[in-house]
Amino acid sequence: MKLSRVPSPVANRVFPVCASDAEVGSSRLRFGRGCRAERVTGEGPHPTPLRGATFSRKREKEARALFAALFVLLCSPASAAEAFITAQGADALSIVDLSKMETVATLPIGGKPAGIAVSRDGARAFVTSPEGKFLTVIDAATRKIEKRIPVEGGPLGVAASPDGKRVYVADLYGRRLVEIDLASGAQRSVGVGAMASGVAVAPDAKTIIVADRDDNALSLIDAATFSRVATIHVGKHPFGVTINASSARAYSANVESDDVSVVDLRARKVIATLKCGSRPYTVALAKGRIFVANQHGDSVSVFDAETLAPVDTLKVGEYPEGLAVSGDGARVYVANWFSNELWAVDAQTLKVLGKAETGDGPRAFGAFIRDAD
Amino acid sequence: MRQEADIAPANVAVTRRLFLGAAAAFASFAPCAAFAAHGASPLKVVETTIIDAPPDKVWAVVSDFAHADWLPGVARVEASGDDVPDQARRRLILADGGVIEELLTKRDAERMMLGVHREGDDVKRLPATNYTALITLRPAEGGKTEVEWKARFYRGHPTNDPPPELNDDVALAAVTALQRAYLAALKAKVEGR
Repeated sequence: MKLSRVPSPVANRVFPVCASDAEVGSSRLRFGRGCRAERVTGEGPHPTPLRGATFSRKREKEARALFAALFVLLCSPASAAEAFITAQGADALSIVDLSKMETVATLPIGGKPAGIAVSRDGARAFVTSPEGKFLTVIDAATRKIEKRIPVEGGPLGVAASPDGKRVYVADLYGRRLVEIDLASGAQRSVGVGAMASGVAVAPDAKTIIVADRDDNALSLIDAATFSRVATIHVGKHPFGVTINASSARAYSANVESDDVSVVDLRARKVIATLKCGSRPYTVALAKGRIFVANQHGDSVSVFDAETLAPVDTLKVGEYPEGLAVSGDGARVYVANWFSNELWAVDAQTLKVLGKAETGDGPRAFGAFIRDAD
Repeated sequence: MRQEADIAPANVAVTRRLFLGAAAAFASFAPCAAFAAHGASPLKVVETTIIDAPPDKVWAVVSDFAHADWLPGVARVEASGDDVPDQARRRLILADGGVIEELLTKRDAERMMLGVHREGDDVKRLPATNYTALITLRPAEGGKTEVEWKARFYRGHPTNDPPPELNDDVALAAVTALQRAYLAALKAKVEGR
């Protein structure tokens, strides 16, 4: 019984799958750390002269320039931005080098990984496994699994606090949002609605939004008191949620009503509903635009974030799910579940910049981009 | 009660026996399954076949959403919406009296892709939910056509810890059998056998 098939052009490409990956990761890290250590020396005010006291200032400059060039050359592969793609069918995490648009490592995760959140500083990645009922904490630089934290129910949506100290996990089946304090491991939960799916933390760290899928609503959680302070009715079956940079607006992709709800977080109400393609799943924001992945439409709808006017609809791969944006906002990345691809799109020109093969069934549900060091 | 995957091989027959035994216990589940309730882990099945006919000829059959009476077990089809994606619907009236309702989600003649979503779930008929298919035709050697029938679906049980009758393996086996039967029927229809 053949359950899935890798498209033929890449059928022979080998993606490392087991212990060997960790080795790839660790050697890469040693390399990276070495470079960083050298940089500290090189930037010091009085570098040790290479050839005694006669070493001229000019030659010193040249040497430093050469060193700087070498530093860039040697370190760039280690500092490229990466995408951490949960490949649910493959039961693994595909790490894609975004400068090459190539999967460079595959970490076995288990438990059908779905949700992903890379911490803002890029140090860690958090992956939910709804079938395994755990959260995996990954050292993002070494690509090593730090620990697995049991989370009862069906951990799905995940987001990290801006300081990286807490992780919020939506329990799909338990009508609750779980907060995990990473230092102590302590967990507490707050009640939300039915089939809690996507989670977003406002950049100002004050508010958390949860998509209560089967209630057609968002729960608004006050982060300081960790209490549910409001529910906001949105379209039908909200799944992915996103909050903008100023923490003023939230957006939900409503799978069954084919629209996006724009929510004013201070007023706690929907201020606009944007009609998009068929089965919108997630929302991302870049270059003053709203990007929406449409599963059945095989497309990404683009709106102007200010005027809310439609800008364009882009054809992407098959069954797009996760969406995320590069740190500089220049590119939007789309995980295509059916065709096992990650696409890079220019957020300004809306041109497709590249495609990468991923593990089977990329969900990439969450903030999956790790910016360059 | 007749399970859709009956048309298929022995491994599914075993599943079916298991399923019949448990059916009564799950009778109370049926109303729940009528909604689009599903869990966190979509499943994928990809089946392909080669048909001895050019892509245009195969596409003429595959893309005729409103007249898919060649599908196994289907007695007749009632359709509406003029084959327009996200509007066109069809009711597959089965020989055993059952009905399957489907929505056309994609019809791309240029890329020869057809998408179909099953509306409403009946886990007694197919132990899977939220079934969506994507059928793609590609030219193959010798003027033949490769047909790929991909499906996305969830297991029959809508939450964690499924009973054995409604777990991932059962769903995968049933959908695999279903798609093999669909492809065999398409091949027979196009090749005129």
